[in-house]
Amino acid sequence: MSKIELENLSKSFGDLQAVDDVSVSIRDGELLCLLGPSGCGKSTTMRMISGLETPTSGRVSIGGEDVTDKSAYERTTSMVFQNWALFPYKSVLENVAFGLKMRGEGKQERREHAREMLTRVHMDGYEDHNPTELSGGQKQRVALARSLAVDPDVLLLDEPLSNLDKRLREEMEIELKEIHEEFEKTFVHVTHNQDEAFTLADRIGIMNEGNLVQVGEPSEVYHNPKNRFIEEFLGDTNFVSGEVSAVDGDGAVVETDFGATIEFPLAADEDLSQGTTVTVSLRPEFMSLDAASATDGGQKTAARADGNGSNTVVGTIDTVLYRGSTIRYFVETNGESMFVERSVTEEGELDEGDAVQVSWPAEEILVFRPDGTRVET
Amino acid sequence: MALERESVENALFKAGYGTIFAFMLVPLVIVIATSFSPSGNLDFPPAGFSLKWYSAFFDNIDWLRAFDNSLVIGAGTTVIATFLGTTAAFGLEARRDRWTQLLVPVVIMPLLIPPVILGVTLLVYFNEMGLRSSYVSIILAHTLWATPLVFFVMQSIFQRFDWELRDAGMDLGANPIRVFVHVVLPNVKSGIFVSALLAFIISLQEFVMALFLSSYGTRTIPVLAWTTLRQSLTPIVSVVSTFLILISLVGILLAALATNLDFIAKRL
Amino acid sequence: MSVTTRNSLLDRVWEPFRQQPGSRRALLLMAPLMVFEFFVFIAPFLMLLRISLSKQVRGLPYEAGTFTFEAYSEVLSSEFFHGLITYSFKLGIIATLLTVVLATFYAYAIWRSEGLTRTMLLFSVVLPLLTTLVIKTYAWVPLLAPRGTVNELLMAIGVLQSPIQLVPNTTGVIVGQVYIVFPYATLAVYSVLSTLDWEIVEAARDLGASRPRSFFEVVLPQAMPGVAVATVVSFAWSVGAYAAPGLLGAGSDRTFAIEVETQMLVGFNWPVATALSAIMLVLMFVSVVILYTALNSVGGDVSHGA
Ligand SMILES: Nc1ncnc2c1ncn2[C@@H]1O[C@H](COP(=O)(O)OP(=O)(O)OP(=O)(O)O)[C@@H](O)[C@H]1O
Ligand SMILES: [Mg+2]
Repeated sequence: MSKIELENLSKSFGDLQAVDDVSVSIRDGELLCLLGPSGCGKSTTMRMISGLETPTSGRVSIGGEDVTDKSAYERTTSMVFQNWALFPYKSVLENVAFGLKMRGEGKQERREHAREMLTRVHMDGYEDHNPTELSGGQKQRVALARSLAVDPDVLLLDEPLSNLDKRLREEMEIELKEIHEEFEKTFVHVTHNQDEAFTLADRIGIMNEGNLVQVGEPSEVYHNPKNRFIEEFLGDTNFVSGEVSAVDGDGAVVETDFGATIEFPLAADEDLSQGTTVTVSLRPEFMSLDAASATDGGQKTAARADGNGSNTVVGTIDTVLYRGSTIRYFVETNGESMFVERSVTEEGELDEGDAVQVSWPAEEILVFRPDGTRVET
Repeated sequence: MALERESVENALFKAGYGTIFAFMLVPLVIVIATSFSPSGNLDFPPAGFSLKWYSAFFDNIDWLRAFDNSLVIGAGTTVIATFLGTTAAFGLEARRDRWTQLLVPVVIMPLLIPPVILGVTLLVYFNEMGLRSSYVSIILAHTLWATPLVFFVMQSIFQRFDWELRDAGMDLGANPIRVFVHVVLPNVKSGIFVSALLAFIISLQEFVMALFLSSYGTRTIPVLAWTTLRQSLTPIVSVVSTFLILISLVGILLAALATNLDFIAKRL
Repeated sequence: MSVTTRNSLLDRVWEPFRQQPGSRRALLLMAPLMVFEFFVFIAPFLMLLRISLSKQVRGLPYEAGTFTFEAYSEVLSSEFFHGLITYSFKLGIIATLLTVVLATFYAYAIWRSEGLTRTMLLFSVVLPLLTTLVIKTYAWVPLLAPRGTVNELLMAIGVLQSPIQLVPNTTGVIVGQVYIVFPYATLAVYSVLSTLDWEIVEAARDLGASRPRSFFEVVLPQAMPGVAVATVVSFAWSVGAYAAPGLLGAGSDRTFAIEVETQMLVGFNWPVATALSAIMLVLMFVSVVILYTALNSVGGDVSHGA
């Protein structure tokens, strides 16, 4: 059993509250990604799990045992550092064997064990190299082998891939996932790269300013962000602000600042009063883009709800950006700019200057109150 | 519990370096305190407070002359050591090969030889050259010690300097000396300042070589302090020491302001 | 001075360098220091050797133009000189051991600390380093005297009944000598430590090494080059100690350096003084080379012992 429980964990450095009352239960064998902007307290949280940092308050338990008062070398966690922290004066093999040596394992035994681990991370043949002679990806593998060699219950990875280039990073993501499946250990992985988090994670925990804002499966976090911070952090989106102009039994209407009207359904127990200023997120991947119908009169911008509950706005394509497998269109509507993404395989070529009609399904709209909280739809 | 052991370890660790900290500074504090002694004894804690040894210092022509000697020798050393160290570090930056690298150990060597041996060697030599007891002999001896420090400070300053700026200057049509004065110098002048300051302090405080090379007329403050001490322990030496400590203190503060303490410490 | 006149002056300075290729110019820049080192360092040592091979005469420092090994055989055959040399080496070894252990610890403390603590700790070594040897030894007199601060303190807390003799005594010499070389040794170790990444210590602890163990396993092997320099400097200066034994030592605390000074400035026996210096230089050089190799191979052993 190696489930991790963090209870009301806090850490302050002087006046700075680095981690603020974080509680989460990490399941046995799970790969949890901690995601968040720089300085939000991810590393500090990890270091408290590993024992390298003592919490100001709160408790940490691993596998049901309270380890708050245990120091790093007594915990069954192992950390992979961002800069790998390989011992420069020791060979690759000695690096990997280090943890076993500390446990008093015999020389022959630990060397053998270390060799096995190196083979597992495809670094056999490098036993006698000095870590300084290795490339970033190779150092990464050695650091991983070194941590796995001590057979920890929990593996803590603090942005281990951030120093690698994109291609290598993607390769290592897959490898990490394989290792996670093979070793069946609990992994906590810190990153500020959302692609990495979505690729790897069983669950994602998103942090901001020391708080753990939301924990959930990738699709949950993606489709159901708890507040505006998460929506903004997770990816590019169009934020449109406006004022609620009408609320009825099962829906609401927002009059946007750029003149269009947005309609969306409202959850039963949600009370949204008329006149509230809200921010609406229109995700580019859910929006569709069509050449404007001739009858619409070209430049005149209008947004109306058609019979299907899908909202529409008319505008002109301003810029076209080719981004590999997708194309991003910037559309100018009434002085405001919004962007829409389409797959390159989609029908109907569009060019700069074309008059277009942008529409989106009402159920994919996310609405946030001024304090950032979600309006349930 | 392990954390308890760690806090014990922590306490021991702090006590350990705290003791050494005191070991390093308490003697100096005591020297300063004894300079205010009202009697002829070096009592600590002092029996009272008096400035009489300070006025004794300023009334004593020997001490004042030694002070002048120290200043003359310090100034000479500063000029020569700064010039030699800076030019050589600059040259080494421009050309690094097996032969020029040989300069480095030769420059360090004087620091590793016991000063008494160096003193004897130079005394014999300057005697032969007819420079015995002259300012020049002491200045050159001190330069031997001060130059390595200047050299290493300047070497690391030049290494940090962005040489593309120089190339840009050359590219804009300035000859190398112009480039040095207009482009390089403004960027390294704090380094030169710190080097010069260190060279001066080193010369001011050096004693063994000066003991061998000076005579009654050219002896420096530390030499006179030593000769005085060998006859009797008097608080007037504490007064002199207080002045020397204060000068170093001001020097360190200035140098730390110009660069930072960490940088200087690593190069001493 | 206006910019133009300054530039024309600079151009005139540049003129002689102009025809030289770049690397020659670099050599010209290094030339002043090379000339200086030759005439003020290398040549004097040759002179020292020459005089150590001269005949001793009464009334003059030495007899010019003579050639004899007399002075060397005198130093090498006399019990008195053997005693001096042995004492110097003993003092050197004890002071070096104490200094290097303490300095490594202190350097580690400086490296670990941050902010104001680090500045204060650094300051505590830089200030004594830039204080004259005379003060550094003299400062211990009021501290260690029979009625001095240390004795009074130990008696007040009941450790001692009556004052113990610390000065003039070998204890005083060792304390003073350690105090003299400690700053240099600390900074030598510190400048190597400061290139290390603190994370490697955390990694070691995370992998199950206790604090002392992580220090010996990953910090010390890497600090070894600094420790080696610290050892060499402490050793060379302690063997050649002059001020500490001179002021804090008893009559029996006589190092070769004190003897050299006496022979040189009081006895006017230059051949013996210079021969003694030359012999000590050779002995020290040999022991430093042995020490240095040994220390570096210790560092090597640690790194090959996985
Ligand atoms: N030892 C420390 N002393 C003082 N402040 C610290 C310390 N460690 C971290 N902090 C501060 O705590 C806050 C959180 O730091 P943390 O390293 O946990 O952030 P992070 O989320 O890992 O950021 P990054 O993505 O940049 O690594 C930051 O503001 C940081 O400056
Ligand atoms: Mg971090």
